Amino acid sequence: MFIGIDVGGTFTDAVLLDRGMVKATAKVVTRQDLLSSLLEALDSILQGVSPDLIERVVFSTTVITNLIAEKKYDPVGLIIIPGPGLSHAHYRFATQTHIINGAIDYRGREIIPLDLKQVEQAVEELEAAGYNKVAVVGKFSSRNNKHEKEIEKYIKLLHPQWQVELGHTVAGQLNFPRRVVSTMLTCATREKYEFFVRSVFQALEQRGLQAEIYILRADGGTMRLKNSTKAPIETIFSGPAASTLGVQALLPPGETAVVVDIGGTTSDLALLLSGQPLLATRGVCIYNQLTHVRALAVKSVPVGGDTTLSRQQNRIVLLPGRQGPPFCLDGPAPTPTDALRVLGLFHKGDYDKARQAMHMLGAELNLSCTETAVRVVDLVVDTIVQEINEMFKSWEQEPSYRVWEVLQKKKVRPTTVVGVGGGAAGLITQIAARMNCQPVLPPYASVANAIGAAVARPTLRVSLRADTQQGVYTIQEEGFQGKIEDGNFNEEKAIALARTWLQRRAENAGLTSSLGEVEIIRREVFNVVRNWVTCGKIFDIGVQTQRGILHYIGGGGR
Amino acid sequence: MSGKTGLVFFPAFDWAISPTHPEREERLLYTRDTIFEEGVLDLPNIEELAPRLATFHDIARVHFCVPRVQSQVTEAHLIAAGAAMLLGDLIIEGSLRNGFALVRPPGHHAMRVVHGNRGFCNINNEAVLVEYLRRRHGVKRIAIVDSDVHHGDGTQEIFYHDPDVLFISFHQDGRTIYPGTGFTHELGGPLAYARTLNVPLPPGTTDETFLYVVDNLILPVLQDFAPEFIINSAGQDNHYTDPLGSMRFTAQGYAEFTRRLNPHLAVLEGGYAIESALPYVNLAILLALSGHDYSYVREPDYWPGKFKESPERLDQVKRMVDNLLGIWQNRDKADIEKLFGTGKFYQRKKNIYYDTDYIEEEQFEKVRMCPYCPGYIIIESRANRGYGSPNRVFAISVPFQACSCCQAEAADAYEKAKKEGRFDYVYLQDKTTDTYMSYERNKNQEWCSEGPRPEV
Ligand SMILES: [Zn+2]
Ligand SMILES: [Zn+2]
Ligand SMILES: [Zn+2]
Repeated sequence: MFIGIDVGGTFTDAVLLDRGMVKATAKVVTRQDLLSSLLEALDSILQGVSPDLIERVVFSTTVITNLIAEKKYDPVGLIIIPGPGLSHAHYRFATQTHIINGAIDYRGREIIPLDLKQVEQAVEELEAAGYNKVAVVGKFSSRNNKHEKEIEKYIKLLHPQWQVELGHTVAGQLNFPRRVVSTMLTCATREKYEFFVRSVFQALEQRGLQAEIYILRADGGTMRLKNSTKAPIETIFSGPAASTLGVQALLPPGETAVVVDIGGTTSDLALLLSGQPLLATRGVCIYNQLTHVRALAVKSVPVGGDTTLSRQQNRIVLLPGRQGPPFCLDGPAPTPTDALRVLGLFHKGDYDKARQAMHMLGAELNLSCTETAVRVVDLVVDTIVQEINEMFKSWEQEPSYRVWEVLQKKKVRPTTVVGVGGGAAGLITQIAARMNCQPVLPPYASVANAIGAAVARPTLRVSLRADTQQGVYTIQEEGFQGKIEDGNFNEEKAIALARTWLQRRAENAGLTSSLGEVEIIRREVFNVVRNWVTCGKIFDIGVQTQRGILHYIGGGGR
Repeated sequence: MSGKTGLVFFPAFDWAISPTHPEREERLLYTRDTIFEEGVLDLPNIEELAPRLATFHDIARVHFCVPRVQSQVTEAHLIAAGAAMLLGDLIIEGSLRNGFALVRPPGHHAMRVVHGNRGFCNINNEAVLVEYLRRRHGVKRIAIVDSDVHHGDGTQEIFYHDPDVLFISFHQDGRTIYPGTGFTHELGGPLAYARTLNVPLPPGTTDETFLYVVDNLILPVLQDFAPEFIINSAGQDNHYTDPLGSMRFTAQGYAEFTRRLNPHLAVLEGGYAIESALPYVNLAILLALSGHDYSYVREPDYWPGKFKESPERLDQVKRMVDNLLGIWQNRDKADIEKLFGTGKFYQRKKNIYYDTDYIEEEQFEKVRMCPYCPGYIIIESRANRGYGSPNRVFAISVPFQACSCCQAEAADAYEKAKKEGRFDYVYLQDKTTDTYMSYERNKNQEWCSEGPRPEV
């Protein structure tokens, strides 16, 4: 049996699954003391179930996201090696930042040696300012990590107890500024994250669970909890991924659908394209700073059940943010929930107060309560539908760098609109109608997050870049740099090498059983030609284990 | 008005002329790595857009492709031209301030008649854009400034008789480099005199002289001409490391030029120092277009003051600039009859060599000397591919500003040529109605392309 637990800011949800059947669900309030919330949720779903029957427990969480939002972490000093390119004025991060001379180029060649004198001074200044956490990031460090390692070596020599994070180990994709932010956040959150992980292990141990424990990543894959401390920030946005995967598990396979999670103040939109959740092309944006965290594409719209409604001249408008609960639940102002209450699409709260709320909005416009409610619902539906269409458009607008990619790009529109979250019931039918789609309100929608966590597949990825002219290769995810000894290195060998590394990663992560097929997600080969003679090749190979989910819910499993 | 710079980056990683040809998949690879690693696409005022395809109709608006558009263009060409058109749309509509079509394949050697590939080009991206902007948006006056080391002979030829398109090309002296044209005496036809200006620069010219030409010729001429839209044919083979050129421009020089020219749209042309120049020059141009500081962009082997201009070279260029500026300033006083002769038609013979496809073409070009409009153009072309009998082509182009007389005369000439039987292919390009006809004698078949619907 599988357990999925979503530790959100307000609620902790848990489900117990048996081969695709939901056996138990729980929803408890997330308290300051994480351990007690976890135990309460676990106890609730494990009633009468022997802990040895549990094969796997998966967590998703926004705990770390909230830590970052509230800036509850130790200061991190920054040592960066940007070299030539963008003006260094762009590198004003909100912390003590030292810019060191040195440069590596796009093929990993050192073009300016590292200035160790400057490093020395930077470390002195950081020490004087009381820092003991340092992020070190160089431009093109994923092509050659020499400079980052030199700096680490120097710091460790002087201050063995300092926490040093290197850019190339945090993310391998190209984008120096995002790598800087990602590395800083990794450095900043590591301690707190390790505390979270300890709490989780403690909770499970106390209940005698021997299962494998995983944590969901923002891209919808899972990793072993004990390995996850290497990359805490990859897990911090797993909340939205959890609900999307949950919906995927609750729908028939292969569907193209929009997932609309209508909450109190915001609604989150996600896309399933032919059954697979859409990944965001950009890394996650954390408080206005782009990172390298890969995530599912989720768009937040500032409209929810508790959004405040107001009238401006002869129009009804939505004011972003929440003033309190709906008027019918003793809140201060009219909300969409009040409109749904009047129309009989929501069944809690005081009916008369809901009518009163509509009257407040509509009287001046000579609208009856019902007419006002219809108008409000139209407004909310319009807003959400417009955002859904924008999301599809921007997906179509994504750049392509190959002819075949441009040609195969088709217009895709959903067939299904799936509603989850508190406000979904009243609105989803109308949103679907507006989009010519089938509305679906899946069972267990209120714990879709936890279901998503429970069924998420463990995924691993390896990105290999080999340059035969220089005789070197790198494995981005491992920060590994090696030499190519084989004089006949070719595309097949490059793929085989990438697979070998994937296998090795899987073994290290204890993940050899449930990996499924390995797919090649990138396969680029470039001839390096100088003076009309081919003098080498560049291979860019990406391999990954199957993404997606292990079970569909209600389908009896697979 | 948005302050954004649009970028269509289309490196065509699956398209090459041949595996070791300079125009191959690898060409923009290091540029990609650089712009990705620099994170410039995350800058709030730079917007990356997905390319779209030009239609065959858009191509037929400019080119006479022999035998048909489909036989000369690949999808990669449609994407490169389409990228420029997309950015053009957004700039005219005001949703972008300017743009950079960082695309392959290039196009500025492609002429009006296309028998094959010339100088790595089949389709002239800038010309397709110009005709599209006029048709779609009613833009009238357009300037193209070509900063490639090679003379933009294709663009020059297409607009040679067009008074509303100003074409300025500076490049390495044609006596020392392909395609061997682009001299100061090539100034446009009788009805578009001085709307073509060529600045052949001696090999070894540095940034200093290059920027002298910009400040003292290009900018004043542009100011006079007052174009509604400025296109930079952004070739980067003037760079000091380029294997095909012998010039000494730097990334800083290109950025400075871009900032001063302030074009609406830069369209990538040549540039084959794919490691030592392209990543740096492309980044510098993108930063200059978007108003960012580009002073930190530097080639690994460059230091300020590396190149010293020789005083003789600078003097020589200064004299040429003075001369050209004089021609420009006196363009309306020039005695056109004395320069070009009189008669109903102005005519000239041309020989065109297709270096990539080894085609030799002979052309006989006639321009109707119309008092009311720029006149229609007749081209008789004969191309030898070195085997079989040569292709004989008769093509008429009616400019979009044409008067109704010219339109009618051109239509007659087209019908006559169809009947005559001397030509394998007969074309009529009527830009006033956006209708493009072609006739193939062997099949006794006629095609018509009208309206902007895709033929793909
Ligand atoms: Zn030129
Ligand atoms: Zn060139
Ligand atoms: Zn006329």
